[in-house]
Amino acid sequence: MEIMYLMIGLSLFMAIGFVIAFVWSIKTGQQEDLITPAMRILQDDQKTNKL
Amino acid sequence: MYTEVLEEVICYHCGDECSETPIIHQEKTFCCHGCEQVYELLNDNQLEEYYNCDLNPGISPTDKNFDFLNNKAFRDRLITFSNADFSKVSFHLPAIHCRSCLYLLENLQKLNPQIIKTSLNFGKKDLTVWFKEDQLSLGALATLIASLGYEPHISNAEEKPQNNDQKKLFLKLGIAGFCAGNAMLFSFPEYLGIDDGSLQALFGYLNLALGSVAVFYSGSDYFSNVYAHLKLHKMTIELPILLGILVGYGRSVFEIISHTGAGYIDSVSGLIFFLLIGKWFQQKSFDFLSFERNYKAYFPLVVTKIANGKEETAPLEEIQVGDRLLIRNQEIIPADAYLLKGQSQMDYSFVTGESELIPIQAGQSIYAGGKHVGEVIEIQINKELNQSHLTQLWEQQAFKDPNHKTENWENFANQVGMYFTVILLSLATIAGIYWFNVDQSRWSNAVVSILVIACPCALAVSYPFALGHGIRWLAKFNFFVKDIQTFERMAQVDTLVFDKTGTLTLQSQQEPSVHFNRDLNDTEWNAIYSLVFQSTHPLSKQVKKFLQNRSIIPLTEFKEISGKGLQASFDDLFVQIGSAKYTLNKLNTPEGFISSETRLFVSINQEPIGFIEFPWENRPGVEGMLHSLRHQYEVHLISGDKKEHAAHLLDWFENQDQVKFECSPLEKMEYIQALQKQGKIVAMIGDGLNDAGALKQAAVGIAVSDDHLHFTPSSDAILKGSELPRLGEYMRYSKFGLQLIKASFLLSLVYNGFGLSYAIQGNLYPLIAAILMPINSISMLVIATWGMNWKGQLLSRSKIRIKAE
Repeated sequence: MEIMYLMIGLSLFMAIGFVIAFVWSIKTGQQEDLITPAMRILQDDQKTNKL
Repeated sequence: MYTEVLEEVICYHCGDECSETPIIHQEKTFCCHGCEQVYELLNDNQLEEYYNCDLNPGISPTDKNFDFLNNKAFRDRLITFSNADFSKVSFHLPAIHCRSCLYLLENLQKLNPQIIKTSLNFGKKDLTVWFKEDQLSLGALATLIASLGYEPHISNAEEKPQNNDQKKLFLKLGIAGFCAGNAMLFSFPEYLGIDDGSLQALFGYLNLALGSVAVFYSGSDYFSNVYAHLKLHKMTIELPILLGILVGYGRSVFEIISHTGAGYIDSVSGLIFFLLIGKWFQQKSFDFLSFERNYKAYFPLVVTKIANGKEETAPLEEIQVGDRLLIRNQEIIPADAYLLKGQSQMDYSFVTGESELIPIQAGQSIYAGGKHVGEVIEIQINKELNQSHLTQLWEQQAFKDPNHKTENWENFANQVGMYFTVILLSLATIAGIYWFNVDQSRWSNAVVSILVIACPCALAVSYPFALGHGIRWLAKFNFFVKDIQTFERMAQVDTLVFDKTGTLTLQSQQEPSVHFNRDLNDTEWNAIYSLVFQSTHPLSKQVKKFLQNRSIIPLTEFKEISGKGLQASFDDLFVQIGSAKYTLNKLNTPEGFISSETRLFVSINQEPIGFIEFPWENRPGVEGMLHSLRHQYEVHLISGDKKEHAAHLLDWFENQDQVKFECSPLEKMEYIQALQKQGKIVAMIGDGLNDAGALKQAAVGIAVSDDHLHFTPSSDAILKGSELPRLGEYMRYSKFGLQLIKASFLLSLVYNGFGLSYAIQGNLYPLIAAILMPINSISMLVIATWGMNWKGQLLSRSKIRIKAE
């Protein structure tokens, strides 16, 4: 059963990592605009060097 | 050589139908030079990809100049950040609509090297630009963006950006989810009956830590809200919820610390998670709409001032009493003033709802909010901006107190919440005292189970979900409701008050009718067409549209006489168009005849010919709507217009007490107040600034908007004009929503009743209560979602059916 202590430690460590990532994403405003990035990714690569 | 006959020529840039003579450039057709220029600009800068993202994506550009933004007052307000290298500014661009817009606006740096980068928020239609301000002024930047067809909407100083607490709510929601998920994990051994003392203790303490975060961080709003309401001696639905949470949490703390059990932190944090999902769901915000807008939003941002004999532009805020301003055709008067030079036809329809133009001579007063029609005039301001006749309306109580709509209004949840709390607390006390005396081992179980199982979380869940779905569905039908509280008030409305001009009636789409004494020959028609072509008067524009296929003949001695009409000579023809008197026509109006039209008289070579009539007409479908609404609601009509202009509408208002004409904006507001004094719950449906007071005063103010959804007076809901005939159905939908909530509340009461009967006997273990609680919540969520979606589907099907017919 001692293995449980290690596993709980690891799972908590991971879960807290996710929470920190989540809090970071909110604080930096990544959840504010969910529409534009989805459209932006569909833009074709820009043909900049066409002369 | 061959000639191609095209049925319909579409502009390559904006997709509009081109006139008979489209502009052709590089084998592409354009409706106007503006569109062609944008195409050329994009083509020269290798941005032609714009046209591949979507078909004819463009917007016909305006040549509006935004140099006034360089004025310090504007610059300081708009620039959000500035250092030696770059400045950052955000513009609201209402014209953004497709993928091509995104492509173009995020490649602006290719059009002007002084632009460093741009970033678009499509949902909010906001464009943020980083640019080198020392080489490209703010005004020039805005003008560039406008020249592409995306005219920035420069908000007034007082139009605050909608701030949202969404970030905080998201954080709380995420943390609650994390706590609930992990607490469930740590509760598993308990459910599975694994017996290991040290592990149980560890899990217990971990759960305790998670539960404390969930209750005191994620659930913190419940503490502050309940406290705020108790201070006002009010009990809301949040009180029993908080009690349930606290009792569940307290019992868990006791069990864990005393090693007598595992507690049920998982249920408590799960409940908080559910409640927060509900809160998040009810916060549907329409970022692209503004529900708060005062009179200043209608005024120009800058005016042309005459100082020391020179014309200069100045921000509106800097205008003082005594300043002299130049007002051009179609511009709005910003403050009460005297007319110094020139003559004006003042259009007060926006302020008063009256459809007739009022002639003003030099020396007479003019009021803020009027729209000037005619040649350039010079005015002198005689009252400060915020003291004008028009703005007095905004000094009324309803405008000063932002909460007046909700203050004396009890929503269903809170009404129920009070009784619920009292009954619940007395039940728990009685059961507690009884068991304390009979069987001491059971009293705490009984009390805890009662408080936990009866926690009205069902109501707290079905509420936001049912109403949240409601406003989402209505938004699909172009009926944008501000929040779920408005949706609920809509369900309680029993009286509807309509504005006339612009709401029920529209300037007619119908052909104007011609009432001439004799037939005109082609030359004479062409002469009339050529004459109106020179003028920008609204009626001239309509005649122009009416006579579309005439050709223009050269004219001499053109004269526009303000307030009277137009005249010009064509070879041997002398044509006059305008008022009856001016054109020597007689007003042959039979006695008792009610005119609901605007007329334009014509004379040729001093010979009276007759008139062209432009009818006002009811918005299509309003008769049917009024007919069906009459059965369920008390329907009123108020208008700033004269009674004769509404003859064709009066049939639909059986009781003449329910109709009032020639109301000022203030009288409209008082009319609503009078109805409210009789205990009625009123919804006001209006469109213009003249309805602003009434919209504000009514329990639900619905602004009707035709083309630009982004230009409506302050209101609780915005309805697209074409949807007005279906207003009754939408009101019924809101009623359905509330009925659904009541029904599911009853169901949960039955549910709770069973649980309670066990709990009072002390037979229900708190653990079972804690499991029943989330099940109850989930079933409420399912009922609310399913019910509102089912009814919404029905609504959208009936809409399609009507369209097909």
